[in-house]
Amino acid sequence: MLHLLKIDLKKMTSYRTFWVICGIYFFTLIVGAASGMEFLKALSRLIEGFGQQINITRIPLYHFPDVWQNLAWSGGLLKMGLAIMVVVSITNEYSYRTIRQNIIDGMSREEFLLSKVYTNLLLSSISMASLFLIASVTGLIYSPELDFPYGFTGISFYPAYFLEVFAFLSFALMLGIFVNRSGLTIILLLFSYLIELIIKENIDNYLPSIIPFFPLESIMSLVPMPFARYVFMEIQDSVNWGTVAIASVWTFLFNYFAYLKLKKSDI
Amino acid sequence: METVLSTNKLTKNFGKIRAVNQLDLEVKRGQVFGMLGPNGSGKTTTLGMLMGVVNPSSGSFSWFGEPATHHTRKKIGAVLEHPIFYPYLSGQKNLELNAMIKGADPAHISKVLETVELADRKDDKYKTYSLGMKQRLAIASALVSDPIILILDEPTNGLDPMGIAEIREIIKRIAADGKTIILASHLLDEVQKVCTHFAVLKRGTLMHIGPVDEVGKGEEIVEVQAYHDDLGVLLQEFVGSATIRKENGIFEVMMKDGFHSKDLNRFLFDKGIVASYLHTRKKSLEKQFLEILADHKS
Ligand SMILES: Nc1ncnc2c1ncn2[C@@H]1O[C@H](COP(=O)(O)OP(=O)(O)OP(=O)(O)O)[C@@H](O)[C@H]1O
Ligand SMILES: [Mg+2]
Repeated sequence: MLHLLKIDLKKMTSYRTFWVICGIYFFTLIVGAASGMEFLKALSRLIEGFGQQINITRIPLYHFPDVWQNLAWSGGLLKMGLAIMVVVSITNEYSYRTIRQNIIDGMSREEFLLSKVYTNLLLSSISMASLFLIASVTGLIYSPELDFPYGFTGISFYPAYFLEVFAFLSFALMLGIFVNRSGLTIILLLFSYLIELIIKENIDNYLPSIIPFFPLESIMSLVPMPFARYVFMEIQDSVNWGTVAIASVWTFLFNYFAYLKLKKSDI
Repeated sequence: METVLSTNKLTKNFGKIRAVNQLDLEVKRGQVFGMLGPNGSGKTTTLGMLMGVVNPSSGSFSWFGEPATHHTRKKIGAVLEHPIFYPYLSGQKNLELNAMIKGADPAHISKVLETVELADRKDDKYKTYSLGMKQRLAIASALVSDPIILILDEPTNGLDPMGIAEIREIIKRIAADGKTIILASHLLDEVQKVCTHFAVLKRGTLMHIGPVDEVGKGEEIVEVQAYHDDLGVLLQEFVGSATIRKENGIFEVMMKDGFHSKDLNRFLFDKGIVASYLHTRKKSLEKQFLEILADHKS
């Protein structure tokens, strides 16, 4: 396993585009996640400028336990950046035809796919670890008092966030293997939300019960949007294991379809 | 001798096109095996199947007497059609990657770079290489695992005459090490110089398979020149002449079976003529190749 991961990383670590995309992604993830308070302050100044007096800096964005879900959800918005990296990585193998040489050199098609899947696992893990670190640090800084174990509520959103990223990267990898061209794959990746949305809209009237089973829907619902709680609405504040099961099945299927496609095509 | 490769009715269809048709090949250890055939005759497709990148439609093949797996491929060094590398990596890094996949000792890399004379450019990015340098790097990558078998598909494509000669030397040196080589090429002269055996494909079907040194057997061609006005007429009197052609003032006499240049020389001498030029030629592979393809034309 480590060997295959090393092979894929060796391909990427001398590739400038890899560092550029990953750099932007992790920079945005870390800085974005850490600067929410500054954002709120700026927002409140803006609102004051309009002569209103709401103290939104009171919103406990970074207080334990809210911070867990708040950051896990926000981090999830950025996964497209990482997915584009994955698409570039796999479609390069087709456009340079290096996938062909890898197999001629003695990789099996399974091993080739696994090397990409392991990289996806690594990228998802690093994302989760970075976000978890930011949440812990900001939580410690901003929380008025530390009340554990209550403060840990919602920490299970981190494995869910990991699954969210990994599932989406698996989807991107599969699309890349089916489409082979980077531009088209990225367009499809962006449009897949729209396509799923249109199907959901049309189905909503007579079969709403199957909507949670849609792939992107299930991935998005792993960490639900938390901010509604600040306007006193009920939110889902714990991981729904049914959603985890659905997203896991989709993740498996994405990788399995990619495997089938690789297996039967001439390279 | 030990059989290294054998194929059994190996077939590949691309839609309606049958690229390879019921191919039966056998390659033994130590052979330098030339694969010949016109464009589109299925050479690359055959090698692609043998190297696991093209799925056969039917039939089978075995390396070293066992059904092939990806582990088998690690013992084979192969370059099909074009050199394939990561353009943004240096030659050295590309070879490191090849070595990692093959499970080869990275210490070999500097040695194979010496072999193909690329050592001084190894840290430059692959995309900055000239075509000839890319070809050389490809040969280096095929050699990096010290393979028992080498598969080269038109390795001299696009090289200058010096490059071609150098690659030929490399191939000969590798063959002298006792390695088995399978070489697809359009340069029949090349094949005749380096190969021990050859096969001819036409539209995916095997037309001929056999040793190269048999090609020269049979008829001889003798080129003669002499200061004599009626040399052409005289030569026709010679009992050993099958056909006679004149080219650039030189007569080419195709000998009948059992006659050799010394018989012709003696005949001329008896007539009181001394040849100023006498040269014996074996039939070339090129000629035989064209005959094989023509024979089956129907
Ligand atoms: N991926 C493919 N899809 C469809 N047809 C293909 C494919 N690859 C090869 N062919 C067809 O298979 C036949 C054999 O092609 P192949 O490349 O094996 O020939 P070749 O002997 O290597 O020719 P050349 O001497 O030009 O390299 C050709 O008719 C070609 O058009
Ligand atoms: Mg070819």
